[in-house]
Amino acid sequence: MKDYAGPIELSLRINGETRRVQARPGDSLLRLLRERLGLTGTKCGCENGDCGACTVLVDGAPIKSCMALAVECEGSDILTIEGLRGHPVQKAFAVENGFQCGFCTPGMILNAVALLSAHPEEDEEADREWMQSNICRCTGYEGIRLALASARRSLKD
Amino acid sequence: MLYEFSYLAPRSVADLVQALDEHKDDGKFLAGGTDLLPNIRNGLMRPRFVIDGKKVPGADALNGGATEGLSMGPAVSINDLLRSPFVREQYPVLCVCAHELASHQIRNRATVAGNVVNASPCSDMAPALLCLGATALLRSAGGERELAFKDFFTGVKKTALKPGEYLERIVIPAASKGARGSYKKLKRIAGHDLGIVGVLMVRLGDSLRFAVSSAAPTPVLVESVTAKDSPEEAVAKVLAAVSPISDVRGTKEYREHMIGVYVRRLLAEVK
Ligand code: FES
Ligand code: FES
Repeated sequence: MKDYAGPIELSLRINGETRRVQARPGDSLLRLLRERLGLTGTKCGCENGDCGACTVLVDGAPIKSCMALAVECEGSDILTIEGLRGHPVQKAFAVENGFQCGFCTPGMILNAVALLSAHPEEDEEADREWMQSNICRCTGYEGIRLALASARRSLKD
Repeated sequence: MLYEFSYLAPRSVADLVQALDEHKDDGKFLAGGTDLLPNIRNGLMRPRFVIDGKKVPGADALNGGATEGLSMGPAVSINDLLRSPFVREQYPVLCVCAHELASHQIRNRATVAGNVVNASPCSDMAPALLCLGATALLRSAGGERELAFKDFFTGVKKTALKPGEYLERIVIPAASKGARGSYKKLKRIAGHDLGIVGVLMVRLGDSLRFAVSSAAPTPVLVESVTAKDSPEEAVAKVLAAVSPISDVRGTKEYREHMIGVYVRRLLAEVK
């Protein structure tokens, strides 16, 4: 049995790189990313599972990193916003004004990347349902909707 | 850091029941964590040991076949259920309820077992399990036992689980295959709030079943409605079985009214 008391050394695969890091069993994945690895692109909004600012992909599936323990993720592939460089979804958010203050944006983009790989074809219903996990206080969502549509087009060609 | 606790990840059923037995008073079973971890963070629970039940082989198994029913381990997530072609074809009622649970990202982590073990009156999976006649296989260091879900919920956030015991499998009988149904849930904001009231209606052959969430200390199963009842009689029978309260989300009267509206709509819709 794995028995982790006190501080532990975890080995996690983050953005394609294996990182060894000191952590405690009680560290959420969110805190570990931000405070121990300095990956502050993942935002802390509510730390209660409500807002989606902390969204990351674990083995391709979007989850709220404030609601997962870092130890649970040993052996999984974690993708944070730092792992995307010039991804078509990022470009689409910039072109279509998919953000204003930008606080929700890393989470939105990661959730959108997962959405577009699960639903490559246009599907308004699926988009709305999928993106409900993330809250934006600024854009009124219209820019985000447009960004999704344009990213989908550019991923196709 | 959330809180000081030790994390145990047993790799076998024997280790798991031993850990649960040793930490009857100071341990908590971790499945999807979507309730446990916020509760710990908000200081509502202070376990000294968090026991991760997901690493036991078979914990995420979702099995079903032509002659058997369906059996699910404690790590089966809500989205695992929604993605299973077998479940979608044979037990569509499970999907109808799973679909209403929180939002897509939460459904990637939240488990069916966790949703019922939490025994919140507003559980979305409990109505489906009650209407489909599901049973719980409970295991502890002392052995295993079987319990029908209609005897599982004992109060607000209370179940028949004893200290040191865990829900090892949820079993849905083959006899409930093909049951059709629909779930109406009233909520203020899609995906971001608890339900105000929910009514599930299931039709299997000639028999009708209703289950109501957020309208009593536990999710409630109503088996007394028959196909011969008028809509008014059906509403009266369902209302007689529940005892809604008034709270920040709605008043008792509003809940009762909406249960009536939903029962009538469901009778017309689920043919
Ligand atoms: S910070 Fe995780 S959902 Fe808000
Ligand atoms: S851009 Fe400000 S919260 Fe979304």
